[in-house]
Amino acid sequence: MDVSADKQRINRRMFLKITGWGSFFVTIGIFIAGTVRFLFPRVLFEQPPTFKIGFPKDFLPAVPDMRQGTLRVYEQWKKDHSVWIVREGNRLYAIYAKCTHLGCTPNWFADERIFKCPCHGSRFYSNGVNFAGPAPRPLDRFRIFLASDGRITVDKSRIYRFRDFDKQGAYLYLEV
Amino acid sequence: MGEYQDRYEFPDLKFNIQRGKKRDFRMEKREKKDMFVWPDLVVMEFLTAVALTIILIVWALLVNAPLLEVANPGISENPSKAPWYFVGLQELLVYFDPWIAGVMIPSIIIICLIMIPYVDINPRGSGRYTFSLRKFALINFNIGFLMWLVLILIGYFLRGPDWQLYWPWESWTVVKKVEDNLWSLDPVTGLTGLALYFGLGMIIPGLVSREFYRKCGPARYTIVMLSILLMYFVPIKIFLRLAFNIRYVLVTPWFNI
Amino acid sequence: MSRKKSLWKRIRRSQVWRSIFRHDYTDTRKNRILQIRSNIFLHIHPARIPSHAGKIRFTWCMGGITFFLFIVEVITGILLMFYYRPVIEYAYQDMKYLRFDVPFGIILRNIHRWAAHLMIATIMLHMLRVFLTGSYKPPREFNWVVGVNLLVITFLLSFTGYLLPWDQLAYWAITVGANMIRATPFIGHEGPFALVDKYNDIRFMLLGGTEIGANALLRFYVLHVIVLPLTAAVLVGVHFWRIRKDGGISRPL
Repeated sequence: MDVSADKQRINRRMFLKITGWGSFFVTIGIFIAGTVRFLFPRVLFEQPPTFKIGFPKDFLPAVPDMRQGTLRVYEQWKKDHSVWIVREGNRLYAIYAKCTHLGCTPNWFADERIFKCPCHGSRFYSNGVNFAGPAPRPLDRFRIFLASDGRITVDKSRIYRFRDFDKQGAYLYLEV
Repeated sequence: MGEYQDRYEFPDLKFNIQRGKKRDFRMEKREKKDMFVWPDLVVMEFLTAVALTIILIVWALLVNAPLLEVANPGISENPSKAPWYFVGLQELLVYFDPWIAGVMIPSIIIICLIMIPYVDINPRGSGRYTFSLRKFALINFNIGFLMWLVLILIGYFLRGPDWQLYWPWESWTVVKKVEDNLWSLDPVTGLTGLALYFGLGMIIPGLVSREFYRKCGPARYTIVMLSILLMYFVPIKIFLRLAFNIRYVLVTPWFNI
Repeated sequence: MSRKKSLWKRIRRSQVWRSIFRHDYTDTRKNRILQIRSNIFLHIHPARIPSHAGKIRFTWCMGGITFFLFIVEVITGILLMFYYRPVIEYAYQDMKYLRFDVPFGIILRNIHRWAAHLMIATIMLHMLRVFLTGSYKPPREFNWVVGVNLLVITFLLSFTGYLLPWDQLAYWAITVGANMIRATPFIGHEGPFALVDKYNDIRFMLLGGTEIGANALLRFYVLHVIVLPLTAAVLVGVHFWRIRKDGGISRPL
């Protein structure tokens, strides 16, 4: 009788100990998890990810020269959107102006026809493929597509890496 | 003076003021060498603080903290250098991918520093400057410290535009050619090389000095040797890059070392 | 003259004076001890120390100097906070204002900056000294760990403070730093074995966004003026406390 009562008491004590400390640590855990979640805002006051760059005809050269390897780099969207629009033959794509090494903004040197990153000296050909310096891969590209109003739109929320450069959306085919 | 004495009692003070007759000889010897903090040390501290204040004020009057143009995400500074104490890590970025240079190396350094007192079981050489009693610990620590300094000096004084090597007497307007003939070891060679380096590095010191291994025990020995091998891997990788243009020692689909 | 002297004597005998200073100042062995023991600011010291502990050639005085520089940083930092607003639109303007118009603003900012640089140097030298003298050996192992944590916090303080001027130097140094965090294995979106994307990785948590913008500036500010200094102050307390509890400054056994 005594022994079983004693056992009972210890069990109850154990139970209270486990539930007590358990709820204590669970509460602390929830509090910490909530604090971590608190640090991830739902709404970002950053630029909208899509912007329009004009009609396809704006990017066609006056004298049609659509051979593979003919390149033209458009710089006017770099300042506001960190994007170079590049036409390579019939393909138009949006290169993300952010070095794949550590995120500095490379510069376009029209005379040498290469991009150079000022931070650690990475070099890229005009199609964004790296050939020197520490950059691990070519410059990323954004989704580029023809919107319903007939204007070319760049969507910065969809990023294509090197292996996806031939996928639908990574480039826009320009009809002559 | 008397009025203070009876009103305020400092029980633990009695030991210092009215010493017992029986005393440890060693304690007595030590106490003879003791000095009072008031006023001797406090005065020294005060003078140091005054001197430092003067130094800081003069420094602040002579040199202005830098303030460039307003932040502009569109234009990168060339070169954009971190503050001097991080330039060592920035210099490592030339030789390692960001996840190693920026994340793994600092983390490993901090963890290794924290572990030092628990893996260094040599009881000698505490509280004084000595070299002969702790050769192993001192050599390795000082080489690590020196590496931090040398990397900072290179990054701070010898790096110019595009993070290229410029001697102090060279003009930054001269454009340097970026090394574009880098190559990587193929995975088999790389893996073999790494396995040899770490494997032999772990085994040979234990064989050469069985005493060292026996004193440390397997866990401590592994931690110590692994830390040291990781530390020397950094200059080895730098040497491979500079001497043989090797970009990565090991290439895998997930990461490169 | 004598009246003046007696006035001074009367002040020293007054209840107010004696409620503040519990003992007199005559240079006796006992008062030298009381001076330390009865003063809250001085009592982090022991009353007596081994004579080698007072030699600069042994301690290099680097721990003490680091602590002093920390106090300098706190004082100048608080003063700078009166003018600086951690908002993108204002931050850089406030720096210009501090530099060109606020009386002594430029000196305060310079002291804050240079003392921070000096503090990194002295804390590294302090660590070197502690290592060279083997002062991390038992029973002082844990205090070395506390010290390493203080070193890390000092680096983080410098890192967070570096962004606040919001100039090109700040922006690009922090861009490079933040993009290293992006490459953390598992929890960074460009690291090996990434489990996250750029909207929920560790860099996003630090910056409060995908770019260094308003949230990042505010976060770095909060970390720089509250979170890190407070943690550092607590750890400094532990550090000093442990020196005493672990047997004072290390000495040859």
